[in-house]
Amino acid sequence: MTARIYVLEVPENEGVVDVAARDSQVTIDKVGPYFRITADDELIIDRRATGCRHAVWYSAIAGLEDSIIVQQDKDALRVTRR
Amino acid sequence: MATAKSVHRVQGVDHTAFPTFDPAGTVKFYRDVLKFPVVHSICAAGWGPQKHPDFIHFFFDIGNDDRIAFFYYFGLEPYRDAGAPGDAWAQFTPDVPEFFLNSRHLAIHVEDEEDLLEYRRRLDESDWPVEMQVMHETIESIYTHDPNGYMIELTRALRPVTPQEDLDAALTIDALCEVAQGEAPSMDKLLTRKAELIVQRAAAWELAQLNESVADSKLVQS
Repeated sequence: MTARIYVLEVPENEGVVDVAARDSQVTIDKVGPYFRITADDELIIDRRATGCRHAVWYSAIAGLEDSIIVQQDKDALRVTRR
Repeated sequence: MATAKSVHRVQGVDHTAFPTFDPAGTVKFYRDVLKFPVVHSICAAGWGPQKHPDFIHFFFDIGNDDRIAFFYYFGLEPYRDAGAPGDAWAQFTPDVPEFFLNSRHLAIHVEDEEDLLEYRRRLDESDWPVEMQVMHETIESIYTHDPNGYMIELTRALRPVTPQEDLDAALTIDALCEVAQGEAPSMDKLLTRKAELIVQRAAAWELAQLNESVADSKLVQS
C-alpha cells in the first residue's frame, strides 16, 4: 500500500526530503526537478526534524499520486494510499 | 570603502495582491489575453490561529520584474451578491475574516535585510508600527496598515528565483483552472491533478532546459 508525493527541488524543501530519506521504507527518485517520495506503507515526516518554518512546511507538497494527506499540522505530515 | 546608502531605498512594486473567486477567469485574462507569464505559485494548506482555508497564491509578471498576485481560497464563497457594484474585495458583511481583508495589499521591494530593517525602524518609530515580520517561502516581509486602513508590505528576496519554480507555477495554474471549474474544488484534488501533470511534463521540461544550456555554452564557445 504505497503512498507517494512530489516535492519541488528548491533549497527550502531540502529538510523535507532529507527527513523522508531517513526512513528505510521510503524510496526517493527524481521526475524532472521534482523529488518523487514513495513509502511502502504510510509516509510520515516529523516537521521539527525537517527544520522547516511554517510557511515552507505548509506549502512543500507539489503533488499527490493515488494518495491522501491525513495529517499536515505543526507536528507532522502523514500521507496514506487513497 | 562602502558607499553610504541613500534615504530613499525602496525599489518599486514587488507584487500587488488581490483575492479571486474566479481563478480560471483571472488566468484567462492575465495569462491568455494579456500574455503575462505565470512566474510563481504557492499551494498552501490552511494553518494559523484563524480558521484559514487551504489556498493557492499565484503570480503574473507585469514587467520590470514586478508582479500581480492572486489568492484563491478553497471553499470560500463571495461575501456579496454577484450583481452588486464594486470589485471582489470591496463589500463586506461583518463576519468577513481578517485574512480576507488583508489579502489585498501592495508589497514594495527592498534590496536586502539591512534596508528591510531600516524601514522596520522607521515604522516602529511612527504611529504605524510594524504589525508582523514574516519569513515566507522565498521572501521576508514586514507589514502595517497605512492611515487609510490599506495594508502595506515591504519585502526582500531571500534568494533568487529558480527556473523550476516557473515550471511548478505553470503546472499549478493548469491544475487550478481544471479543478476550480469542476465540482467541489479542493487542495486534495489540485495536488492529485498536479501530480499527473508532473508525470506528464516535468522530465521533458528538464531535458529542454539541459538542451538550452548546452546550446548556450556552444554559443559562448563559438
